[in-house]
Amino acid sequence: MAEAAGIVLAGGRSSRMGTPKAALEWHGSTLLRRVAGVVARAVDGPVVVVRAPGQALPPLPEEVEIAEDAREGRGPLQGLAAGLAAIGDRAEVAYASSTDVPLLHPRFVRRVLDAFDDDVDVVLPHVGGFPHPLAAAYRVSLLGQVERLIAEDRMRPAFLFEACRVRRLDADALLADPALAALDPALDSVLNINEPDDYAAARRRPAPEVAVRRFGVLRRQAPGPDPAVVAAATLGQAASAAGLTLDAHVVAALNGDQITRDPEAPLVAGDTVAFLSADAGG
Amino acid sequence: MAPGGLFGRALVVDATDGTATALPLPDDVLRAYIGGAGLGAWLMHRLAPPRVDPLAPDAPLAFCFSPLVGTPLTTSAKFAVVAKSPLTGMLNDALASSHFAIAGKLTGNDAIVVRGACAEPSVLLVDGDGVRLQPAGDLWGLPAAEAEARLRERLGKAWRIASIGPAGEARVAYATVSHDGRHAGRGGLGAVLGAKLLKAVAVRPATKVAPADPRAVLAAARDLRERSFGPATAKYRELGTLANLLAFNAIATLPTRNFQAATFSEAPRLAAEDLAEARGVARDSCASCSIGCEHIYKGAGGRSTRVEYENVFALGPLCGVSDPDAVLEASGRCDELGLDTISTGGTIAWAMECAERGLIDAPWLRFGDADALLRAIEEIGAREGLGALLAEGSRAAARIVGGGSEAFAPHVKGLELPGYEPRTLQAMALGLAVNARGADHNRSGAYEADLSGRFDRLAGGEPHVAAAIETEDRAAIMDSLILCKFLRGVFEEPFDEWARLLGTVTGWDVDAAELRATARRIVVAKRAFNVREGWTRADDDLPERLLSEPVQVASGREATLTRERLHDMIEAYYRARGLQPDGRPTDGQLADLRIEALVG
Repeated sequence: MAEAAGIVLAGGRSSRMGTPKAALEWHGSTLLRRVAGVVARAVDGPVVVVRAPGQALPPLPEEVEIAEDAREGRGPLQGLAAGLAAIGDRAEVAYASSTDVPLLHPRFVRRVLDAFDDDVDVVLPHVGGFPHPLAAAYRVSLLGQVERLIAEDRMRPAFLFEACRVRRLDADALLADPALAALDPALDSVLNINEPDDYAAARRRPAPEVAVRRFGVLRRQAPGPDPAVVAAATLGQAASAAGLTLDAHVVAALNGDQITRDPEAPLVAGDTVAFLSADAGG
Repeated sequence: MAPGGLFGRALVVDATDGTATALPLPDDVLRAYIGGAGLGAWLMHRLAPPRVDPLAPDAPLAFCFSPLVGTPLTTSAKFAVVAKSPLTGMLNDALASSHFAIAGKLTGNDAIVVRGACAEPSVLLVDGDGVRLQPAGDLWGLPAAEAEARLRERLGKAWRIASIGPAGEARVAYATVSHDGRHAGRGGLGAVLGAKLLKAVAVRPATKVAPADPRAVLAAARDLRERSFGPATAKYRELGTLANLLAFNAIATLPTRNFQAATFSEAPRLAAEDLAEARGVARDSCASCSIGCEHIYKGAGGRSTRVEYENVFALGPLCGVSDPDAVLEASGRCDELGLDTISTGGTIAWAMECAERGLIDAPWLRFGDADALLRAIEEIGAREGLGALLAEGSRAAARIVGGGSEAFAPHVKGLELPGYEPRTLQAMALGLAVNARGADHNRSGAYEADLSGRFDRLAGGEPHVAAAIETEDRAAIMDSLILCKFLRGVFEEPFDEWARLLGTVTGWDVDAAELRATARRIVVAKRAFNVREGWTRADDDLPERLLSEPVQVASGREATLTRERLHDMIEAYYRARGLQPDGRPTDGQLADLRIEALVG
């Protein structure tokens, strides 16, 4: 069983935005693709995107699973239930996120998940004077309680928090993690986009700064400082900024960890991307 | 009549008296094994007495050629040297390249097998006049390259020579067979020749052999040559395999200090990206090769050394040595002595750890000490001092030293691990564990799957198994055709394209499905030989260290390869290969091998 899974709720009506938020573009990617990718970087279990019945979603990596709300427009508990049910016995804990947080950092997700232990059922950030139930972690076994609340038409997350053990993390507690304090000092991870003005403001923000390294022949093909610091929200943007084409002969290692050649793989502040020759033999 | 590109016979030489007989190679055997490593496996089944001592006179050693040798197809001038390994006690095939392959085949034989042993140091000559032995006492003790040069001076430039160095003469268990500066490096085949008192085998072309469809072969050769100049081979062409080193360090897959770490802080000192500018003096290529992967660097003493990732990894980071001059010097000395650099570095790294733990009395031997590295190499080559122990390889030495050192002896089946960290490349971990030759990156290229981005390379499981099998099958065909693996990236549908190449050369109506079956047969044949020689399920394994000590990658994630995870993958591998649950071939698989009944 995995330690943690991810749930991204995409089934909201986006009524204030006037257009589906999941498909909004942010620095070369859709919000949903970005958030699902950022959450995936922080969990070792499946990532489930929950949509409204029949809702069209922007393209996602094939490993991202899709679940559907039982009914449309009933709020976050409905989506949470669908996500927890889809995860089943594959993880103990799930980080649940909204789809409209382009500045979400995987270190924030890890910080929330790391606060989980046997004594709690929910880890709930409190930032800016508000609880953030869609930037929180839930014990998967809460599914039954969530379903009971839905059956009773008690659809606000607060009802769930009354019924289980909640660990609240304020900004100071969150930022006690020095890595998070360095990478997301303003806790922009919880900044969500509800209206067109929010979206416009988010788009004005620069893409995150990442370090790019090129190895072997790639360094010869695209000379430059090593590492080079570039602004890039996706792997494809980082490759372009480094003068490289992300083709069959190039792969990238993200922070020395997973290998990918997905141009839409999201990057966040503090990342190091190493571009390698795909022909690794010898 | 033999198929195109083949003679339909192997020459079996008795080194005891210099006589030879022809062993007919039936068409169905050639089609079932192709040539190279595949044919070598079949020959060992037929000619090696069960449980033979690899260094005994009865043990055969085969130089195997292949249908493509002698055609204009790029990288096809390769030969396989095949024998039971004195290092592993199992089947071993090692490939080398260049003119020996062409001249050896054009003696009129698809393979030259040597059995028996000479009464005195000798050289075996094979050409159109038959076989004969000549005394080689004056060459005994010389580096292979020097012996080769003297022999060509003596015999004439038409002769091509495969020779051993002093390490082969001393029967170091990982001594090489060398030709034109390139080595059939792994598994101690040089010791097998040394035990036969054969300093060298010299071959001279005596005949010709035509492909079935010369025009089609020429057209295919032009096409392949064109593709070989493309981006899939750029790495090999521009920087050579040493380009791996810094990249592997960045992704924590550069084995360091006997696998105690997967990154080496001083790796930049050994990086091709910089050393190529500072020390690179030439590029070279094997005969009939349009890639030109060989990069030659100049060391502090002015000596030129061929530089590859594996020799720099094994004599550098694995031993904690970062001085490029020392690593180049160590690599050059291994070439002269005729030592496999991977096994040399792996065995010395193990000994360094033993010395630091007080398990062997060698206070001079410490990680990072370049002088100690060079001294150890000299002692191994001469079997002097500590070298007598280390000349047997890390597995045998650890059995003698004990004290828990077997847990960190870096080998599989006795063959020292190459420079691919199994904990951070977990498809490769499986490939290393199950391969017939032992820990080997040329018979299982499963690292390709790990580095493809298609799997989590730190969490081996079911998907990794199919990927490991695919690379093992591809290697079986490439090593039997033979084509250089550095060319593999240019094939979009490899089995289809290889089948077409093989068909135009031989005239066989072979297709991809048949070639896939051939690959599986060759893999099973190697395994079956090992079973015959005493293989047990426990031999498909990795060193305890790799299954109990995690390493960390730069993201902070721990890479842990547990015994349970590895064994789950091994069991899945057996199932997918259609083997018995204990890893032995089934009766049906054995019946497909076209060999006599197996023992054991």
